[in-house]
Amino acid sequence: MASSVNLTVKLGSLIFKNPVLTASGTFGYASEYKNYMDLNALGGFVVKGLSVNPKKGNKPPRIVETPCGMLNAIGLQNVGVDKFIKEKLPLLEDVDAHIIANIYGTKAEEFIKLAERLEGVGRVSALEVNVSCPNVSKGGALFGKNPNEVVKLASSVKKHTSKPVIVKLTPNVDDIAVIAKAACDGGADAVSLINTITGMVIDTKTKKPFLANKTGGLSGPAVYPVGVRMVYEVYEKIKVPIIGVGGIYNSDVALQYLMAGAALIEIGTANFTKPDVTIEIIKGIKEFLKVENIKSVGDIVGIAHSV
Amino acid sequence: MKLEVCENKRIAKNTFSLKIDNPALFDASPGQFFMVKINDFDYPLLRRPFSIADFSDRYIEIIYKVVGEGTKILAGKQKGDFLDLLGPLGNGFGDIKKGKKIFLVGGGIGAAPLIYLSNTLKSMYGISYEAYFGFNTKDEIYVDFGKTATMDGSSGYAGNVVDMIESQLDENCLVLACGPTLMLKRLAYVCYQKKCSMKVSLESRMACGIGVCLGCVVETTDKDFKRVCVEGPVFDYREIEWQAL
Repeated sequence: MASSVNLTVKLGSLIFKNPVLTASGTFGYASEYKNYMDLNALGGFVVKGLSVNPKKGNKPPRIVETPCGMLNAIGLQNVGVDKFIKEKLPLLEDVDAHIIANIYGTKAEEFIKLAERLEGVGRVSALEVNVSCPNVSKGGALFGKNPNEVVKLASSVKKHTSKPVIVKLTPNVDDIAVIAKAACDGGADAVSLINTITGMVIDTKTKKPFLANKTGGLSGPAVYPVGVRMVYEVYEKIKVPIIGVGGIYNSDVALQYLMAGAALIEIGTANFTKPDVTIEIIKGIKEFLKVENIKSVGDIVGIAHSV
Repeated sequence: MKLEVCENKRIAKNTFSLKIDNPALFDASPGQFFMVKINDFDYPLLRRPFSIADFSDRYIEIIYKVVGEGTKILAGKQKGDFLDLLGPLGNGFGDIKKGKKIFLVGGGIGAAPLIYLSNTLKSMYGISYEAYFGFNTKDEIYVDFGKTATMDGSSGYAGNVVDMIESQLDENCLVLACGPTLMLKRLAYVCYQKKCSMKVSLESRMACGIGVCLGCVVETTDKDFKRVCVEGPVFDYREIEWQAL
């Protein structure tokens, strides 16, 4: 049995101490979780999607539970990039984990502005470009469904930052591999998938859609097989690392994503139910590798393709 | 944290009292809440927010109504079972200053946090108050103090609790309220008219309870959104954009 296992992962110039990150929109600005877990244990975290100006978000109701999942339409409520830098980042000064800023704009210029604004901020290790939010009327998934837009956007963000650029993809497309390739053509250093799956719940009492936004994004354990399948498909088509996300709630599902081809994973909705779930998942991955006598987590990335 | 169920019994129509062993590791103030995981597995997925109906050295009491899948499963929990609780969370009713005439006003299952509040007002502050509770029918009543109103007239005042107390309210009153949105809306309207003060505990669907999911927000009069779980659940009623509710 191997005495120790290597959990580190490289993404561009960055080294992550383990492959477990938290997904944007499910971990606030990270300091909220300080009471519940040791943030230093994480490979990193992706903070709530940031826009140039503060964003109020959608009217409530914004969430509704579904079998083994939930539908949300928050509408990217956030404090804006300036307040994030001034007020939220200092709270994380002593935290030894990568901070990834998820950025969102309604047009390319806004993404560029965000990249420029964050360029001098050393504490932010990478940018995750959100071209996949299903719950906003402008930008978001409207970019992410069109490969030409994705190429343009990825390359323009890339031109304005020295940090690794991750493009977060929507599953609400015909062929996600086409979009992933477009992100790579634009120079993306990694892609993360999947964002939420568009859905709707109707309140039979009022006979109207339950959410004020009508549709929302489905997340939680219910969606993980869709995410695993998409990571598997994309892995065969692109060369850059994949960050797997969607419904991961225990180490077994985390391992499935890694075996499908994800180099890193993001934990989302599970943070709501179990604030320290990420710790359990890191432990579980480590335990699995030990038992299987596998020296490095990298050795199982994409392993499901070799059979 | 996983805590042991001491008792889970029906106390009124579709209404249960759940007493959970208190590990005496923390304090909790009236109006705060716990996020309770109903099952160890993933259905229902999300924790459910429950206000604190009483909090003593021995146990934490939650009073809940069976309204859906989650609460139906909760009703099946027995002495010796364990439940995973997160909390206490949120801002409660806070300091209650003497000097105003205090009214506790609750509706339906919303009366639950007012029980703990009333016990605290009595024992800690020695403050006197009047309590009024509204229910649909007599068999839904689970409080054993204060005056009650029933919509069908089967017990106490016939009609809704806001009509029952309206004439007593003026600028020297402080109302502490919790209940269904429609009741609170009407109460807020009356309080505006009578220029009286009110702190109100709101209910909302929430996924996390700790301020990150942003699912539970309410619209406020400054045209912003506030999180019920962190900035609330107890608000000054003047902060809330009642038209939006």
